[in-house]
Amino acid sequence: MRRRIAVLLMVVLAMQTVAACGSEKETAGGEAGKESASAQTQSSGSSVFTGELEQNVTIRVLENDTAISKGYFDELITAFNEEYAEYGITAVDANMDQYLDLANDGPYGYGPDVLYQANDIIMQYATGKHIYPLPVEQMECYSQIPQTAWAAYQTVVDGTTYTCGVPVNVQAPMLFYRTDLLPEDWESEWDDNENQIPDMVENWTDMYEYSISRHAEDSSRYGYMKSLYDVYFSSGFLFTYGGYVFGDNNTNPEDIGFAAGEAEKGAQVLLQLAGVMNEECIDDTITTNAYSKLADGTYFATMSTPDVYSTFLGELQLAYESEGMSATEAEAAAKENLVMTTLPKLPESGDLTDENAECVDTKAMGGVNGYAVSAYTKAPNACLAFVEFATSYEMVAKRSEMLGIAPAREDAAEAAGGIAQMLYANLENGTTVLMPSVQEVSQIWTPAQTFFTDLAKDAFREEDEKKYTDLPSLKEGLEQVDTQIYDAIFTLK
Amino acid sequence: MRQKIKSAATWFSDCSSKVKLSMLIMGSGQFGYGAKGKGLLYFLVEVTVIYYFITRGFGDIAGFFTLGTTKGDAWLGVAGDNSVIMLLMGIFAWIVLVAFLVIYVGNVKDAYAMQKRVEQGKQILTFREELSEFLDKKFYVTVLVLPVIGVFVFNILPIIFMILIAFTNYGGDIVPPELVDWVGFENFSRLLTLTRFAPTFFRILGWNILWAVVSTALNYFVGLGLALLLDKECVKGKAIWRAFPVLAYAIPGFITLLAFKFMFSYGGPINQMITDGGGTAIGFLDLDAKWMARFIGLLVNCWISTPSIMLLATGILSNRDTSLYEAARIDGAGRWKQFQKLTLPFVLFSTMPVLIGQFIGNFNNFGIFYFLRGGLYMDGYFLASDTDLLINWLYNLSIDNNYYCIGAAISLIIFLITSAISLIVYIKSPSYREEDTFQ
Repeated sequence: MRRRIAVLLMVVLAMQTVAACGSEKETAGGEAGKESASAQTQSSGSSVFTGELEQNVTIRVLENDTAISKGYFDELITAFNEEYAEYGITAVDANMDQYLDLANDGPYGYGPDVLYQANDIIMQYATGKHIYPLPVEQMECYSQIPQTAWAAYQTVVDGTTYTCGVPVNVQAPMLFYRTDLLPEDWESEWDDNENQIPDMVENWTDMYEYSISRHAEDSSRYGYMKSLYDVYFSSGFLFTYGGYVFGDNNTNPEDIGFAAGEAEKGAQVLLQLAGVMNEECIDDTITTNAYSKLADGTYFATMSTPDVYSTFLGELQLAYESEGMSATEAEAAAKENLVMTTLPKLPESGDLTDENAECVDTKAMGGVNGYAVSAYTKAPNACLAFVEFATSYEMVAKRSEMLGIAPAREDAAEAAGGIAQMLYANLENGTTVLMPSVQEVSQIWTPAQTFFTDLAKDAFREEDEKKYTDLPSLKEGLEQVDTQIYDAIFTLK
Repeated sequence: MRQKIKSAATWFSDCSSKVKLSMLIMGSGQFGYGAKGKGLLYFLVEVTVIYYFITRGFGDIAGFFTLGTTKGDAWLGVAGDNSVIMLLMGIFAWIVLVAFLVIYVGNVKDAYAMQKRVEQGKQILTFREELSEFLDKKFYVTVLVLPVIGVFVFNILPIIFMILIAFTNYGGDIVPPELVDWVGFENFSRLLTLTRFAPTFFRILGWNILWAVVSTALNYFVGLGLALLLDKECVKGKAIWRAFPVLAYAIPGFITLLAFKFMFSYGGPINQMITDGGGTAIGFLDLDAKWMARFIGLLVNCWISTPSIMLLATGILSNRDTSLYEAARIDGAGRWKQFQKLTLPFVLFSTMPVLIGQFIGNFNNFGIFYFLRGGLYMDGYFLASDTDLLINWLYNLSIDNNYYCIGAAISLIIFLITSAISLIVYIKSPSYREEDTFQ
C-alpha cells in the first residue's frame, strides 16, 4: 500500500513537472511570437516613436522607492491615467526591485516598460541597446534642462549620438549643520565678510579652524565629521584641484584622472580634515550614525545628499523632544536650526591652515536621476507619453515639493528656489561633476575607497608610520589608485 | 579490439529478426514478442525524441558549437541569438541524446532478453506484470527516476554549463546581445601567463590553506568540546545551554557578520568602551589590521560554525559505548587518554565526511571576509586584500568585472585543489581505511 501511495505521489509530481514545462513552453512560445513581431517592425532606434499612441495598454513603471513611499508616484500615475483614459493607457507600479537586471529580464518580458534610475545605471543599459534612444529634442522639457544633464544620458553608436534618458532631478553632496551649535559670538568672531553667514560654512579653512576649537573646548565634540571612505563624497575634493574620473568628459576609461592636475592638494585637504575628526572617519559605520550624532550635538556639521534631509530633521526633532520640548516646538526648532547648504569653498593652495589663500568653489560628484524607456516594451509611444507627462513642469514641481528633490528643469528649480536652485546652478556651471555613465565606472569604487581609507587612517598613525607626509607622497597614492582602476578595467579585457 | 568486434558480430548474428527490427524501430521487437504495451512505450520514446531533435534538438546541438550567428539589436527589432541560452540548450540536447542512447540500448537488450526467454520456453511477462515489478523488484528504479532527472537538470547541467563557460570568452564586454565564442584553454593560459597574477595567487593560496585548516580545526574542537561539556552529568540546565549556540546558528550568517563588523568598527561598541575607558580606538578590521583581522575572522567563523558541530557531536556521543570508558578507567586511563584513545577516534570516524565538507566550506568561505572587511585592495596584492581568500579574489576578478569566463576557470582550479585535498584526507582517514571498526 505504501509503495502504491509513493508511486501515486510520484505520478502527481511528474504530472506537475510536465504541466510546469508546458506552461513554460507556452510562455516561451508567446515570447518567440513577440520577438518575431518586433523583428518585423525593423525599427531603427527612435523611429519606433511614431507619435501614434498604442491604445488599451498597461505600462509598468519602475519608480524610486522614496517616490512610492511618500505618495508622489500614486499622484503621478493617477494624473497620467486620467489624462490618457481616452486611449485606454494605464500606468502601473512595475513592483520590481530597484536592482533589476533589464539586460537579462527585458528580452523575456519581465522588465519594466519605463524606468527611473541614476544616469550611470541607465546608461549601462544603453551599451547593450536595452533602452531606446529618445526623441528628446522634440520634448517640451528639452530647453529647460541644461546640456550637462543631457550629456549624462548620451551615447555614441556608429558615430551618431543618441540620448537615452530624460533627466529629472540632480543629486549632489550638501553640507548639513545646526545653527544652534554655532558659537554665541559667531557674528563678531566667525563672520569676517559680515554677510550674516557663518564663515565655517562658507569655506573649509574656517570649518577646519572651528572643528579644532570645538574639540578643544569639549573633547567629545567635533566640528565637521564625515567618513572619508565614501568616494561619492570625497572625490569632489580631488576634482576641485584638477582631478577627474575618466577623460574626454568622463567617457574615456583609458584616461583615469584621480591623480590629474593638482588633485593631491584635495587629498591634503582631506588628510587635514581627518586630523580634526576621530577614528570613526576611517570606516563607513558612522554614515548611519551621522543623523543621531548631529542631533545630539556631537557633530556640528556633516555632508550628505538632499534626499536624507527629512531623516536629519526627524532625528533632531526627537532629540529636542527628549530635551523636554513639545512635538510642535521640537519640529519648529528642528526646521529652524537644521540647515542644508552647498559645500564650503576650498583654499586654492590646498592647505586649510593657510588663512590668506584665495578660495575656489568646491566641486562635488553628483548624479542625475531620470526616466528611460525599455527597448523591450510593446508600447513605446505610450511610454514616451508617460515620460513627457512625468517630466512636465507641473509633475517635476510637485515631485520637488513632495520629495524635496532638486529638479533638473530650470523653471521647476526656480520655482522651488533655495537649495534646488543652488543645485541646478551648480550643475549648470560645472561645480557638480556628474558621475560617468560608462560601465567601467563600476571599477572606480574599491581602489578609490581604499585610498581614502588609507588617507583617513594616516591621520591617526604614529609619526614614523605615516605614509602621506607631503604632496608628492599623496600624488603617488593617487597614481596608484589610477593604476589599480586601469588594471581592474583592462587586465582581463 | 578484434575480439570485441568478433563477439559483437556473433551476438548480432544470434539476434532474431524482431530484435534487429527493434534496433531500427524501438519497441518493435517487444511488440513482436507480444509485449505490446512496453513496445508502444519504447516506440513513443523514439518518436518523441525524433520529434524533439527535428523541431529543436539538432538546432540546439548546432548552436552549442556556433554559440549564435546573429547579434541581437533591440533598437532595430532584431531578436538575435543569445549565446548563453544556446549553450544551455545545447547541453540539454546532449543530455537528451545521451539519455536516448541509454534507453535505446535498454530497448535492444530488453528485446534480446525476450528472444532468449522465448527460446528457453519461458513466458513473456505481460505489461501489467512488468509494471508490478516496478513496485517490487525494481522499486528502486521507480523511486529514483525523478530524483535522478532532478539531479541532471538542477545539478549536472549547471555544473557542465559552468565548466564550459571556462572555455568561452563570456564576460566583460561580451555579454548578450554580443555573441560569445569558444576560446579553448585561453582563459587558463591567461591566468598562468599573466605575471601580475602569480604572486597574488600564491600569497592568497597560502593564506587560504592556513585559514581552511585552522578554522576547520578550531570549529571542530570547540564544537566537540562544547558537546562534551554539555554531556557532563554535573551540568545543570543542559537544554538552556544548548539553546544558546543554536540561537547563534539560527541567525543568518551574513547578519551575524554585519553585526560583528559593526562591533569591531571604529564607531562600534568595543571601541566605544575602549575610548570611554581612556584608551585609543583600535582598527580591528581596518587596512593595517592584517593578522588581527584574520584572527577576528577565525573567531567569528567559529561563532557561526561551532553550533552545527556541537549538535552533530552531541548526537554521536550519545551512541558511545560507556563500557569502554569503564574498562579504560579500570585500566588506569586518565581523562585525556580516554579522550585521545576512545572519544576522538569514535567521533572522528563518524564525522570525517562532515569534517571534509567543513574544510571545503571554509576553503571557499566567501562571506566571512566579504562582509567583515570587503572593499579594500592592498599593496602587494593584485586587486585583492590581505584577508581575501581565493573565492573573494575570484569575485573581485570575475563577478565585479563581469569576467564570467575567468571566474569559471579559477573555479575549476579551486575545485581541483579542494577535491585533491579532500580525496587524500578521506583516503587516509579511518572512515575509509577502517570502515568496519564501529559497525
